[in-house]
Amino acid sequence: MSDATVKIKEQLASQQYIASDEITTVIYLAEQLGKPILSEGPAGVGKTELSKAWAGATCRRLIRLQCYEGLDETKALYEWEYAKQMLYTQLLRDKLQDVIGHVSSLREAADRIAAEEEIFFSERFLLPRPLLQALTSPEPVVLLIDEIDRSDVEFEAFLLEVLSDFQVSVPELGTIQAKHRPTVFLTSNNTRELSEALKRRCLYLYLDYPDVEAELNIVRLKVPDLAPELARQAVELVHQLRNLDLKKSPSISETLDWARALVQLNAKQLDEKTVETTMTVLLKHETDITRAKRALARRGANGGTNKPGPAGFDPDDMGSYRVFGRK
Amino acid sequence: MEQRIIDFIAGLRAAGVRISIAESQDAFNATQCMGILDRTDFRDSLRATLVKEAVDRPIFDQLFPLYFGSGGPPLLNLTDGLSPEEKNLLAQALRALLEQLRLDQQQQGNQPRQRGGFSSPENQINNLMQLLRWLLQGQNPTQQELDQAGQQAGLQNADSPYQQQWIQQRKMRQLGLELLRQLMEQLPELLAQVGMSQEAIDELMKGMEANRDALAEQIAQHIGATLARQRVENQPDQKQQAADLMHRPFKNLSESEADLLRDEVRRLVAQLRSRVALRRKRSKSGTLDAKKTLRANLRYGGVPMELKFKTRHLKPKLLLICDVSTSMRAVVEFLLRMIYELQDQVASAHSFAFIDDLESISEDFAEFPPDVAIDKVLARLQPGYYNTDLGNSLNTLMMRHAATIDHRTTVIFVGDGRNNYNNPRLDLMDQIKRRGKRVIWLNPEHPRQWGTGDSDMLAYLPYAAAVHRVSNLAELTEAVDKLLTAH
Repeated sequence: MSDATVKIKEQLASQQYIASDEITTVIYLAEQLGKPILSEGPAGVGKTELSKAWAGATCRRLIRLQCYEGLDETKALYEWEYAKQMLYTQLLRDKLQDVIGHVSSLREAADRIAAEEEIFFSERFLLPRPLLQALTSPEPVVLLIDEIDRSDVEFEAFLLEVLSDFQVSVPELGTIQAKHRPTVFLTSNNTRELSEALKRRCLYLYLDYPDVEAELNIVRLKVPDLAPELARQAVELVHQLRNLDLKKSPSISETLDWARALVQLNAKQLDEKTVETTMTVLLKHETDITRAKRALARRGANGGTNKPGPAGFDPDDMGSYRVFGRK
Repeated sequence: MEQRIIDFIAGLRAAGVRISIAESQDAFNATQCMGILDRTDFRDSLRATLVKEAVDRPIFDQLFPLYFGSGGPPLLNLTDGLSPEEKNLLAQALRALLEQLRLDQQQQGNQPRQRGGFSSPENQINNLMQLLRWLLQGQNPTQQELDQAGQQAGLQNADSPYQQQWIQQRKMRQLGLELLRQLMEQLPELLAQVGMSQEAIDELMKGMEANRDALAEQIAQHIGATLARQRVENQPDQKQQAADLMHRPFKNLSESEADLLRDEVRRLVAQLRSRVALRRKRSKSGTLDAKKTLRANLRYGGVPMELKFKTRHLKPKLLLICDVSTSMRAVVEFLLRMIYELQDQVASAHSFAFIDDLESISEDFAEFPPDVAIDKVLARLQPGYYNTDLGNSLNTLMMRHAATIDHRTTVIFVGDGRNNYNNPRLDLMDQIKRRGKRVIWLNPEHPRQWGTGDSDMLAYLPYAAAVHRVSNLAELTEAVDKLLTAH
């Protein structure tokens, strides 16, 4: 680990984000090479959190663009404030006479008005949306383009142009260059294939569910009130649930919610009753809940013996769940 | 080092990872920026720039150590730790042992050659001595020696990673590691006889074993790297191959070619999707949408300069009825794959399979990913000596599943229309046509063969809005394209 990557890790840790070596390497490369970061992975593993943490760590503003199907240039780049323009026209109608003055022909009148054209198509009436805000910001910013896989293909193509040159051309104002290149984070839930051209532009970061120790560190950091022994049991239970074939496995954010719920309920141990009542915090589908309950009951039956339980449970993990067998 | 990275990228491409030139340039920039001192950082920087899909990561992880491996742990020089007398004792013992082995070999020389013994006894002894030299003195085998041993083990003819294990064993045997085992069993006793202290013997043996494992590691890495390199050289022009295969009839495809086409399906589906989206965008249809027009024309003060039309496109609802007799399997498999990859373009797709009776297969697709589901379905419906009977299947359909056909459904029949002279039940076909929006047939046979023999195609023809010939993948793609855009 070089000094730079160590420094990045510390910076992220100061924002309460525990980053793996891979994450720090990718962020270092992105800053040095000026390339965007595309982070993929299951929902809730901290892709959006990463960009927030990095913005906080480097004291830069976070500009967020949430993508959805139907997002187009007007919502993403800029829009003219038509209402404001028309209001000004109405208010300035009297002044208009003075500007035109005494003219002999229509052409002269049109010429005089044309001379004042820049007023109505100036930056005064330009409504900058997130992308333009990021480009024209006087200090460096972090640009987060969230859930890019939910936008449509045309938006991706448009985004490519912006991301490759960091400049945009407004017909009335000319080309606007970015003063500082923003650090761009793109997140995707992999619901659809992104276009190859977009992927080529970015550095790729795949965030997966962490292992037990890493997740335990995260829980300890974010929910310090939870007793350490209970935290470990909780994290191990979540890992067992992830091994089951569920429709939606619990993510890190759900683990943290559950940990907070346990703190709120003043739970002293992970007995069956507590788990059953709080299961809905972890699992969000009815079928998943029934499956999990069945699997845990089966483990309770196997607990205490060295017989390997069904559904591939590891008998070595029986240690923390003797409570189920104590009936 | 740069050559190494280029070779690595070539190896990744040969393994199926798509890497563009821009990305390889990024990889160089990244390694320059990151430095190569720290192995993990180096690997992460390569991975972030070269691998852009989650499915390619395991391939990267597999190939990285082969190209940038440290060559395995180094072999240690064991004779350093021995005193001169001990060295003498060791030399004596070894000489005695080798003599013994030579005698054994000469005796065995009269016996017929064993399987796997493909060098003369003299050669084997020489190999063994070389091996001992490596192990005792900690001399790493040179690249040349490894190459030579690899050639003798038949490495140049292999290109699949599955053969790696087998080749490794052969190579080890070639180098005499088998004999070495015998020797290592006998050596401690001999050394004790000659008078070496027990602890010296133990240390020596441990060191030898460690060296032997390290050597095995080096051999494995060398084999892996050579295989990967050979795969790069022998890689056929895959893109051209796929393009040719698209036009080959399904029944002429071999298993490996079918696999190639399965990967193609994903790419085709992406093409179809964008084609459909484009056509929809450009189509001029629909009535004027007053609300949208006014909203869009606020910038013009309400004057309708841009007209907006109602573009509410309803996605099609599909009902697939597939003949899964042996001749039709390939077509059905590819069609089902396509339709289920295109789930987002259809509102709903129910599928049924039939031979002589109908069976619903939608649940399999709901639970499993398409390839697993197809295998399950095809395993369940083994065509035995059943006769295809579409009429009976239609009967079952109308009796049990008539609710799946409504006025928005497109009913798609995939079959050759051959009924083995059973009743074609044209009345039921008529019912289906009335209930549903339209009926489409996909038939792999040539139109000239429709109506010949037991084919009822000509009878079914009046009820179908369109009949497409789907004998190869290109035609199937066209048919699916027309399906999706005709709404």
